[in-house]
Amino acid sequence: MVAFVEVTPETICRQRGNGKTTEIEILPDLMELAQQTCGELPMVIHGVELSIGSAHGWNDAYLRMLDSFQQAWPFVWHSEHLGFQTISGDDGASLDVGVPLPMPPTKEAAALVASRGDAILQRYGVPFLLENPAHYFFDLPTDPEIEGDIGLLHSITETSGCRLLLDLHNLYCNAVNHKFDPFKAIDRMPLDQVLEIHVAGGSWRDGFWMDAHDGRVPERVWEMLDYALPKVPHVAGVVFELLEEHAVSLGPEAIADELNHARNIWNARRAA
Amino acid sequence: MALIEFQTGLGRLLREHKSSDPLHGVNLDANEKRYFETLQETAGFRFCASIQRSWCIARAAKSAHFTLSLLPDKERQALLDDWVDAGAGTNSFFDAEGESFLGFISKRLTDPSHELSVCQFEQATFRASNGASSYASPDLSGLANTDRKLRHGRHATLVRLYLDPSLLIESMQTRKPLPPLSTEPLVLMFSPGLPQLCNAPSEEEIATWEALDAPASVGTLLSLNISPETLAGLLEQGTIDYAD
Repeated sequence: MVAFVEVTPETICRQRGNGKTTEIEILPDLMELAQQTCGELPMVIHGVELSIGSAHGWNDAYLRMLDSFQQAWPFVWHSEHLGFQTISGDDGASLDVGVPLPMPPTKEAAALVASRGDAILQRYGVPFLLENPAHYFFDLPTDPEIEGDIGLLHSITETSGCRLLLDLHNLYCNAVNHKFDPFKAIDRMPLDQVLEIHVAGGSWRDGFWMDAHDGRVPERVWEMLDYALPKVPHVAGVVFELLEEHAVSLGPEAIADELNHARNIWNARRAA
Repeated sequence: MALIEFQTGLGRLLREHKSSDPLHGVNLDANEKRYFETLQETAGFRFCASIQRSWCIARAAKSAHFTLSLLPDKERQALLDDWVDAGAGTNSFFDAEGESFLGFISKRLTDPSHELSVCQFEQATFRASNGASSYASPDLSGLANTDRKLRHGRHATLVRLYLDPSLLIESMQTRKPLPPLSTEPLVLMFSPGLPQLCNAPSEEEIATWEALDAPASVGTLLSLNISPETLAGLLEQGTIDYAD
């Protein structure tokens, strides 16, 4: 049922210090437990703390941690969210905003992320993927040449070695909240750059469909997977995302159902 | 708009929503200021702000789980609101702020009380655990110098629980009222060099801790009939440290 695992390294780490002296350290007990749990399965990294798009600087402590992580447990590829979650404080220290935020589709944003993506590619020597984010802003600053969120993905992948993690639930969220057709959006994506796909569940809150990772995958997202898989020639895997705190309430049978569902679509579409 | 101004502006609006001028010092022209004024009124921004706030509250609540479990709902919510309104709860590594949040809570609790004991217990756990990964015992030979001053270890805490821990946990789970404080508290010592971070200290170890409420010399401690072996043991496990 499971062909590979995706690890978010921050979940087995702790942060020490603050501001300019912050370090993220791997907790050896949790690392050992994670390795035992995953056994011999291939492992990929899905980070959340890099803040690759922060104009004042990305999270160096995260990368230092990832250097050690790779030494201890090599990964097949590495992905991060396209966005930012830190800003510069008055004293120059990095401040967490508390929630991930989207990059504006501008030339400056594209160039910044592309150059950082290339640096990461060189640093780790494995493919580096950017995940298309869900967001709730209708009017971000934009450059006409970039053509919106999807144009930003094109611009970055065309000017760097970055590949794409196509998060179908994020795309679904944006389609619901921003009122566009998700299937047409899939067609506009840089599909030849997609190496991995995410599916997940969400829920309604205050009139928005939220990327909550709190349950089963909506039927529409399964349809999007069915639609997208034949169009992504280099895709290597599909991951079902669920937050730890919702795993118990969803239950192992439902989780197995979701994994089997993904597997069945994969077999039907990738074998065809 | 330059990327850094956009990010600083948006980030500040979300982090500092209580501030009268969150965009103060951000290099924006009139159009850019208008952009942010309009943005704040959009449903998308308000939704993002509500998510940010609920995540910050959830992180803080996680870091003080046991203490908050003992408090009435209204008091618990007020503490969380005040903490997050001050700009805290934004760090994804919730335990990084845990010790500070518990310190903030402890100032608002009755001394002594079960609630304060549990708060100190959680704070002590964070403190010892934060010190444990990089802890190295100091050179014990300094104890030979009777003028050498000692103090409490930076990551050590002594906690008194006025109720059997199993009854405390039961009360957290069932929300039953807590009984009066016991006159014979259970004393626990947290130190970064202890294998389980915590033990039940001897009378002599408690006396040493109390004698070090202010830094004191080795000679002073020996004159209080504290043995060199006890000092060496406490120094080795990080309960006490050299003051200089």
